[in-house]
Amino acid sequence: MEKTTPSGNPLDRLLDLLCLTPLGISALILLALLPLIPPFNQEYLIRWLISAAFIAALSIAFDFTAGYIGIVNFGYCAIMGLGGYTSAILADRIGLTPWLGMLAGALAAAVLGFVIGIVTLRLRGIFAACLAWFFGLALMGLATKLMWLTRGPLGLRVDRLFASSSNVSFYYLILTMMVIIYVITRWTTRTKMGLAFKAIGQNMEAARTSGINPVFYRIVNFTLSCMLAGWLGGFYAHFYGILTPDVMATAKTVEVLAVAYIGGRGSLWGGAVIAFPFICAMELVRSSLSNLPGLNLVIYGLLLMAVMIYYPGGFAQFFDTYFRRTRSRLLGYLVNGGRNRPDAISDRQAAAIISNPIR
Amino acid sequence: MWKIEPDRLLRWLKSAAGISILTAVAAAAMATMDRGPHVLVNAVVMGGMLALVSMGLALVFGVMNIPMFAHGEYFMIGTLVAYYVFTPINTHISTHPDSMLSALGPLITIVAAMLVGAIAGVASEVLVFSQLRKRSRENWVMNSFLLTVGLSVVLINGHQLFFGADFKGIVRFWSGAPFSILDVFISRDRAMAFFLAVLVVLSFWLFISYTRTGRAIRAVSQDETGALMVGIGLNGILMLTMALSCALAAVAGASLLFMYPSYPSVGLEPLYMAWFVVIIAGLGNVLGAVVGAFIVSLLKVLTVEYIGSGWDFVVPSALIIVILVFKPSGLFGSEVRGILDK
Amino acid sequence: MLLEVKNLNAGYGFLQILREVSLTVDRGEYVALVGPNGAGKSTTLRTIAGLLRPMSGEIRFKGEPIEGLAGNKVARQGIAYVSEAMNLFVNMTVQENLSMGAYTLRDKGLRKDRLEFVYALFPRLVERQNQLAGTMSGGERKMLAIGRGLMSDPELLLVDEPSFGLAPQLTESVFESLNALKKRGMTIMLVEQNVTKALAVTDRGYVLENGRIELEGRSRELACNDHVRKVFLGV
Repeated sequence: MEKTTPSGNPLDRLLDLLCLTPLGISALILLALLPLIPPFNQEYLIRWLISAAFIAALSIAFDFTAGYIGIVNFGYCAIMGLGGYTSAILADRIGLTPWLGMLAGALAAAVLGFVIGIVTLRLRGIFAACLAWFFGLALMGLATKLMWLTRGPLGLRVDRLFASSSNVSFYYLILTMMVIIYVITRWTTRTKMGLAFKAIGQNMEAARTSGINPVFYRIVNFTLSCMLAGWLGGFYAHFYGILTPDVMATAKTVEVLAVAYIGGRGSLWGGAVIAFPFICAMELVRSSLSNLPGLNLVIYGLLLMAVMIYYPGGFAQFFDTYFRRTRSRLLGYLVNGGRNRPDAISDRQAAAIISNPIR
Repeated sequence: MWKIEPDRLLRWLKSAAGISILTAVAAAAMATMDRGPHVLVNAVVMGGMLALVSMGLALVFGVMNIPMFAHGEYFMIGTLVAYYVFTPINTHISTHPDSMLSALGPLITIVAAMLVGAIAGVASEVLVFSQLRKRSRENWVMNSFLLTVGLSVVLINGHQLFFGADFKGIVRFWSGAPFSILDVFISRDRAMAFFLAVLVVLSFWLFISYTRTGRAIRAVSQDETGALMVGIGLNGILMLTMALSCALAAVAGASLLFMYPSYPSVGLEPLYMAWFVVIIAGLGNVLGAVVGAFIVSLLKVLTVEYIGSGWDFVVPSALIIVILVFKPSGLFGSEVRGILDK
Repeated sequence: MLLEVKNLNAGYGFLQILREVSLTVDRGEYVALVGPNGAGKSTTLRTIAGLLRPMSGEIRFKGEPIEGLAGNKVARQGIAYVSEAMNLFVNMTVQENLSMGAYTLRDKGLRKDRLEFVYALFPRLVERQNQLAGTMSGGERKMLAIGRGLMSDPELLLVDEPSFGLAPQLTESVFESLNALKKRGMTIMLVEQNVTKALAVTDRGYVLENGRIELEGRSRELACNDHVRKVFLGV
């Protein structure tokens, strides 16, 4: 992968550092301004935005595993919940400040991710997904049964992160977390490591014979992805102020998975972009058609199925095909940024690395 | 063919399958002596039903290579159909207690559920899986898995949308005094559910091993191209497989309606259990799934008995994680080999 | 003409492998299709057998067009294809594999006749009747694959690389069986990398290079052809 030097423009260089395109940064600025613009300054809409940003951040971290090394971490929300519980219990028992608690949650989740990474090493695709799923089920069972620690289904009450009744500060926090997660995962995948991830995802044996050590990369990937989930779990706990084992349910993972795949596997940004309109539309359907419970989820299942059948690349592929390859210079600059190449690692590059071993 | 050869017997005893089956039998025997025969009876009754669900799951993976996440939803469809068929029959029975229906009613209910389950299976194959198959077979296992996830979401919430989220249950199928076996009272419903499970498993096994169509299903699961080469029509076989597998789940759901009232996510528990079974038995191993079902149900019953209810997800899943680490291909290897997971 | 292929183009995805391939096989003939690695020999057979959809072109069997038919329909027309990978049902016994070969035959008596015919051709398989196909040696599996193909009472037998991965002695016995079949009037089309061997046993041959038919003619003459000798035999 040759390094194209970004143009001298300092703005371009900054954007390149953040792995964002001009269009991406504009979208982020728009998101940041949203709570100030009516009608989005209403409390319930801000709550929607928060849950959208939360799902967006989770889907980025989820895609880091699913889209790159090709393993669907089906216990993802249970790991997120582990982070949440860790943070909440630490705050509850020893009065640790939530800011550190969230990091402790991330650490706990990272340890579990490390374990899952080691345990699933020998397993391929669907077996690894099942194993992660069983881990999730076991964790959820533990959270339900260890009443003395988690208060089980009664719910564990924790202090919220900000005392104010307004949710705007939560919104900015989760937005920042989302950007940080995006930048971390993007930095990781932009290096040679990202290439190795994709190569492992495509064909583990071939990657191994090409001199890529799958053990190392898979564990790194799992640990990092779970760590980010744990961190987000901490936010979840201190935003809602109550934790029940339900946050660990498979259905929650399915929600994240749907967003990530509709957004486009292996793109990282696709899920994040899709999450905002998608979650808001779902909430809109749910609140305006409350006499038809479940309709929003039916739509969402159908959408996932339609994308899987007709357009498995998701939104990201659509965008890459129809917008990235534009002839217009302005649009090209907006969507590709200064370095004028799509900086996602293409499958073709990964295939090339498999067929031409690194010596 | 069934001569016992000491050599082979010894080898079998030393294999993972032999060890696990022996351990299970020993554990069952000890628990029975320790806590009484209800342990054994419960494990056997639940194992029978679990066998139906997990056999279908194993079949779909073995033949179609689909890791089915929506399998519990066909169980749910079974409970739903049974509820709506049996409720009017039940009111009829209560006014005419001597009519033929009081004996035949439950059977009609279960057959109806089976038919609807089969139709649902064919519909999902035609509307969902064959659409994906037509377009791309690249990355099939993962893509079809995600499809089944979507299907599951749609079916669960479709139930809620059209039939509501409340519990729709019945008190019992068969009235009358409970049977007593080994000093344990088993309600007629449980006993009948078990007999039904045995009957269905047996007839399914006969069908798959001795009929021409059953052989064709096995042929497709072992080598799709080879099956085409000898003139087996793939589409028909895949549709039939799906229908069979979903009918099995629906039968299980219908005959357990007295235990599991119908509600949107009633299928989740059987789904988890069936996945436990299929993973320890080896994906796509239909016969192994039957044995695995009894092991898992024993595991669950023992957990409830000795550790307490509510732990029955934690302990089995922890144990299965351990098994998976040491035997990634499951305890019984793979009897019916599907197209390998790439 | 039993089989007529006209201007066949075929390939995988965007990759075209066969270009305007035309060939014919007459009833009772023993025809070889030879060529270097990657020339498209197996692709030709796979396309005829209906396992690969042609991009364009015509395939006629007994005068009826069969291009684009699914593999199972082609098999029902009377074409048996023995692939290089053999595609046996590895967890079934030899007997079961053979009876699967007769899947399309409804007549019980005919099925029995075919089984006897195959067992007579490959006595080795009789001894292995109850063994699982996956546990047999390469040569036995090859015999089983040919035997399974013959079970459907085909009019045309397509055999892909009968010598692939076999010891010379076994190769010899497989070729002897094919010879015996030909003597009983079976029409056979053979794809083979071992050009000398293939041209020594067959009546007629086609030489395929880069997806095109370069030469055709009587096998004996092809074996003496300068181009063939230079390219394949290194003389």
